[in-house]
Amino acid sequence: MNLLNEAETALCPANEPNAEVPNNAAGHYLLGLIHSYTDRRKSAIHNFKQALAIDPLLWAAYEELCVLGAAEEATAFFGDSAALCIQKQNINHASASQNMHISNEDCSLLSTRNFGSEDLSPRQLKRTQGDNLKGIPGAATLGAVYQPTNGGLPNLPLYNTPSTMATQFSGVVPPPLCRNAQLNAPNTSMLITDNSPKSIVNSNIQAPRRKFVDEGKLRKISGRLFSDSGARRSTRIAAEAGANSNANATLVAANGISNSSKYLGGSKLSSMALRSVTIRKGQSWSNENWDEGIHNETFDDSHANVTITNYTSSPFGDARSLETEGASMPVSGAIMSASRVLSGASEILGLLRILGDGYRLSCLYRCQDALDIYMKLPHKHYNTGWVLSQVGKAYFELVDYLESASFFSLARQASPYSLEGSDIYSTVLYHLKEDMKLSYLAQELISTDRLAPQSWCAMGNCYSLQKDHETALKSFQRAVQLNSRFAYAHTLCGHEYVALEDFENGIKSYLSALRIDARHYNSWYGLGMLYLRQEKFEFSELHFRMAFQISPHSSVIMSYLGTALHALKKNEEALEMMERAILADKKNPLPLYQKANILVSLESFDEALEVLEELKEYAPRESSVYALMGKIYKRRNMHDKAMLHFGLALDLKPSATDVATIKTAIEKLHVPDEIEDTL
Amino acid sequence: MATESSEGEEEGKITGWSQHLIVDDDLREMGKKAAWSVSSCKPGNGVFSLRDDNLDSFWQSDGAQPHLVNIQFQKKVKLQLVVLYVDFKLDESYTPSKISIHAGDGFHNLKEIKTVELLKPTGWVYLSLSGNDPRETFVNTFMLQIAVLSNHLNGRDTHVRQIKVYGPRPNPIPHQPFQFTSREFITYSSVR
Repeated sequence: MNLLNEAETALCPANEPNAEVPNNAAGHYLLGLIHSYTDRRKSAIHNFKQALAIDPLLWAAYEELCVLGAAEEATAFFGDSAALCIQKQNINHASASQNMHISNEDCSLLSTRNFGSEDLSPRQLKRTQGDNLKGIPGAATLGAVYQPTNGGLPNLPLYNTPSTMATQFSGVVPPPLCRNAQLNAPNTSMLITDNSPKSIVNSNIQAPRRKFVDEGKLRKISGRLFSDSGARRSTRIAAEAGANSNANATLVAANGISNSSKYLGGSKLSSMALRSVTIRKGQSWSNENWDEGIHNETFDDSHANVTITNYTSSPFGDARSLETEGASMPVSGAIMSASRVLSGASEILGLLRILGDGYRLSCLYRCQDALDIYMKLPHKHYNTGWVLSQVGKAYFELVDYLESASFFSLARQASPYSLEGSDIYSTVLYHLKEDMKLSYLAQELISTDRLAPQSWCAMGNCYSLQKDHETALKSFQRAVQLNSRFAYAHTLCGHEYVALEDFENGIKSYLSALRIDARHYNSWYGLGMLYLRQEKFEFSELHFRMAFQISPHSSVIMSYLGTALHALKKNEEALEMMERAILADKKNPLPLYQKANILVSLESFDEALEVLEELKEYAPRESSVYALMGKIYKRRNMHDKAMLHFGLALDLKPSATDVATIKTAIEKLHVPDEIEDTL
Repeated sequence: MATESSEGEEEGKITGWSQHLIVDDDLREMGKKAAWSVSSCKPGNGVFSLRDDNLDSFWQSDGAQPHLVNIQFQKKVKLQLVVLYVDFKLDESYTPSKISIHAGDGFHNLKEIKTVELLKPTGWVYLSLSGNDPRETFVNTFMLQIAVLSNHLNGRDTHVRQIKVYGPRPNPIPHQPFQFTSREFITYSSVR
């Protein structure tokens, strides 16, 4: 709701800086979010680290750290000490746990991570009206907290989310809700008697989630547990768009019994699903019944001790995609012994380590390394939606659009209703100029979720590919409206404004994107291009340099930085930059071309010709290469060669402006010949 | 549908028309950046009707011939094509029959660049501004003036339903001597 101030004061009473932040890890996480939204980077980083220290399985906090560019090696956070920490927590909460705190947490985490989470919270808050929990004292405060649900779950280990793993494609954890309901009944008294403020907090947090869940059912039970399940369920449900509960049921049943580690795969998927779900407003309640049914079958009371499993599953889920709903571990019912906790925790942490490293590296744009790390994941985890789309993103950053597109399409097969990463997919298709696939993707996304910014981004990309920049702009503006914290939508708006030559608004859009995410190198690049067009070369160089600092391996940025330097007449540096760009990516012809350009302006024609010959091998159908060669030959008065190359350039159908330029050049070529003839 | 007879080199050229507006992809409409004005109009049928993308609304002049449509840009632009929608079946004696196009820096130094004659046109009339020389593919100018010199059946006033002005698309990558044509180049040429 953007009431960041109130949220902050609720979490952190002004005069007690180190007082117990409610809900420990989650509270820190929320505080970190608030700080990052208000540009207090250091405190944000500090808070996220705290959150991770208290609760090492809080993947969302790690993700935020990566986005801020301040993450350390994943092992630092997901190491052995973390495992011990989890174990401790687990033991502490074993008695109180009973219900799916974890699921709650996951839910909240999920929502936090979703782009739509902000949207979600207000909706959730609205829904709390029906909730029983309103009465709970803490509720009001929490309600005011920004994304209250997110904060709620610091005490993760408490809840067993019996949910089964494989909840459908999204891997949402369906059963947790059901289970919770079941469990709640017997446990209600327990829960309620457990008067720790945390539980109350949790319940409050869960309350909003409840909406998703069958409200009637919730009312019966203390309800907190449901919220997460509910959220999860809703996500699931949403994802499925009312898919067969039967399918879920069987899944749940099957999964219910399995142990946590298996969830991980599920959670990954579910996270994706969750995302879309959270954005949607709890679609069908019908599934709830379904859940309950399943719940009955599979659920048994091992909640209490399943904390570990839950815990692991949840983090896993989180790890996967923000939304990891924490595939509730099926309540195995057995009381976990301490060693099992530890082993389970280490397993989870191992996975989190890999994922964390991969994510961190891709945020630092060291994409090749990130790809190597993702390859280390076990096959089952690799093939989940989240990981596949991260791989796709990594290829996108490496400008390998074909690979990227294939991975994204695999990701979509794995979790067809997930929206995360689909905006990048639409950009990849835009680059590949695949208008059919792009329009199909856009239609699918809109039908999946009309209120998600990614769908409108895809739509806008579609129109932009058709050169209908005005409609594209409208679509991107809609995306911005839907979620003003979605930096990419702002950047795309900026690109469209520039295409429409409306530079002022373009600058505004790019700057808003940067305000949201200062490490969004696309906006820096966009600003650099804008200034290049306006011939403000110093600004242009500055912005390209910023983009370069953020993404130091991108050959495209390097080549543009070189162009800007060349425009500023710093030709030495420009050439050096071009060399680096050429080395960075052998397949990129642009730096070679720019290098030739620079050499021409430095009048070293022979070298330029050499470079262009090389380029000719690589891209034989590029008319500008021949045109430039023709120009060079003309300068050196080798008219026949010039004629030849101009002719070739014309054959390759350049644009109208170039045709005019080339033809003019040809005309001028003839003049010296005529003079010779007449002599 | 094009009936062209070049009797005189510049004058007396009858141009064809088409029912649908089909323009090359590498041209873009430039009219949004210009200030449009007309020499005279009947209340309710003013210059706005020329730009509203509605073929049912038209501009009706209300004065002496020649009737003028002035298109003024804030900076010099390259223009390649002017397209008008006129309809003899609906407008009969209000349909222009002789149109001339002038270009220049302002009202004081407009020079005629093209004159065409139309014969009962019903649809979009394409008037290319290019000369024969490749150097003259575009007209680089601040202002364009479209003058209706006479109408069919000697009508006094004229109806024009829509006018569009086209110029080349700028190079999407600034500071480049030539535009890229091949996919390899275009893929790497920008970050989105």
